[in-house]
Amino acid sequence: MALDPLLLPAPLLLPPGLCTLVDPDLIWLHLISDVATGLAYLSIPAALMVFALRRRDLAYPWVFALFAAFIIACGATHLMHAWTMFTPAYEAEGLIKAITAAVSVTTAIVLWPLLPRLLALPSPEAMAREVDERRAAEARALASEARSAAFIAHLAEALFVIRVLPDGGFQAETVNPAFERLFGISGDAMRHKPIETVVPAALLAAALPHWRQAAAERQPAEYVMEAETPAGWRVWQTVLVPMVGPDGQVERLLGSARDITMTRRLQADLLQSAKLATVGTMCAGLAHETSQPLNAAILWLRNARAAADGMQPETQVARLNTAFGVVEGQLRRAGDLVARIRALPGEEAGATHVFDATRTAEAAIRTAAGQYGPEGIEIALRNHPDPLPVRGAPARLEQALLQLLANARDAVQDRRASDPASSGQISVTLREEAGEAVVEVQDAGTGVPEALRDAIFDPFFTTRDPGHGSGLGLPLAAAVARGMGGRIYCHNAPEGGAVFTMRLALAPLSCLLTTEEARN
Amino acid sequence: MAWRILVAEDEGLAAMAIEDELLREGYEVVLAPDGQAALEAAAQQPPDLLLTDLRMPRLDGAGLIRALRSSRPALPVVVMTGYAPAGGAGAFARQGEGPVALFAKPLDMDAVLAALRKLLPGP
Repeated sequence: MALDPLLLPAPLLLPPGLCTLVDPDLIWLHLISDVATGLAYLSIPAALMVFALRRRDLAYPWVFALFAAFIIACGATHLMHAWTMFTPAYEAEGLIKAITAAVSVTTAIVLWPLLPRLLALPSPEAMAREVDERRAAEARALASEARSAAFIAHLAEALFVIRVLPDGGFQAETVNPAFERLFGISGDAMRHKPIETVVPAALLAAALPHWRQAAAERQPAEYVMEAETPAGWRVWQTVLVPMVGPDGQVERLLGSARDITMTRRLQADLLQSAKLATVGTMCAGLAHETSQPLNAAILWLRNARAAADGMQPETQVARLNTAFGVVEGQLRRAGDLVARIRALPGEEAGATHVFDATRTAEAAIRTAAGQYGPEGIEIALRNHPDPLPVRGAPARLEQALLQLLANARDAVQDRRASDPASSGQISVTLREEAGEAVVEVQDAGTGVPEALRDAIFDPFFTTRDPGHGSGLGLPLAAAVARGMGGRIYCHNAPEGGAVFTMRLALAPLSCLLTTEEARN
Repeated sequence: MAWRILVAEDEGLAAMAIEDELLREGYEVVLAPDGQAALEAAAQQPPDLLLTDLRMPRLDGAGLIRALRSSRPALPVVVMTGYAPAGGAGAFARQGEGPVALFAKPLDMDAVLAALRKLLPGP
């Protein structure tokens, strides 16, 4: 569209040679284009500045300033060009062009070295990809952590983390459920508390030297411990791994403990069983071989007595009878010993049936309490459990329990000899545990020295003076337990005194009821 | 007529003393030093009761009881032994129907004689 040149002031035309714009239409085209371009060039930096101000995390924000300056300068040249169509301010225009040139050249120069660095900036797509990857990695880490947590929570081994405090003290940090089961100590109760307030003193006293050693030597340590825990008597194998912090000090001890109570018990069972089998064979042979000459001697003594009957003089006969009495008494004594040795092999003599071990234990306690009461020794049945059906001969079990009670009484007497103020208490606990009937006899004596623990079940082993105690009581109890599909063992209670534990195979309760009904 | 007791005992001295005791009680006694000899003696002179040891050469007491009771299931038997057999007298329950009394050595002879009187009541 053509504009009417008469409505607008005529642009001041330059002398020929400087400007070739003589066509008014062309002049308007230039004018409008320059003004529009100039205005646009002013608007773009504004948008750029808004963007740069809002996005504070931009890399190289000064590039935006440079671009803004460059564009403003370019816009200014256009506007100046439009202006010079009306006013011949060529010096000003030249100056602006020079500034524009300077800014443009600076921008151009700066841009090339910057280019590799700009190219190195991650693109939004790359960024998104990286974010995705990181999220996936995070999810994997979380899943892995969940797996580890599940693993630790369900691990059969007890795990515990102990913090080593700067003052050399210890603090429980965390434990897994297997730890709680093994030691009967709640993890929540332990967490971040001084160790001596949460772990029983006896247990801690045994464990501390190992912890201190592992912390001092910075070497993994392995050890086996046995102690009375809140969950009962336990034997466990521990591996301690010291964790060193950035300052080179041991910060934590990672412990894993394996419960080997059952394994140890089985090993001890096998050992005891093998020993008792050997002892049984030996005792049976000994009893048989000794009984033959004793038998002949006793029979011939009767013969001699019969021959002496009616002989004269009477003083001689009286003397002879005294001699016969002494010989017979000694032969009977030897015979009794043979009978007791014969009782050791453990195979149940007589018919066996299912009976209630609780009742038998109660009967044994009544008998023993009657005997030991006058000596100031009390026998307390700690609990009144349900019937404990076991198979065997009740008389044999009662005999075995009486031997355990007699042993407890002797232990109490021994302790009293050196410490007259000591307690005269014997306590008996009956319970069902893991398919076994458990009878525990605990005395207030001085306990059984570690080195003697296995030997005390050997026949004729005794710590008493000759003539006191035959050394056949505990072997008999062990033999009876073995004959009833069980075993016996002993340990020392943390509060002192020995605990003899008899474990017998449980018979089905229904068998007990049937037997009882048949009896009634 | 006196009851005849077959005594199987490998310990000669013990057997002699037992023989004395039984004769004094008025029993007729046949002695045998082992199970095999006892079996042969029983074939010659069938006993009314067997008094036997368990551990003997050639044929042991259990074998002897089984052999004698195969023809005479109700033969009363008294066992004297240095071993306490597992199951006690019940261990011989399947070796015939006759009664079995069990005595450990050294023998309480009075108890043995009382058992014999019960198993072989006087005429």
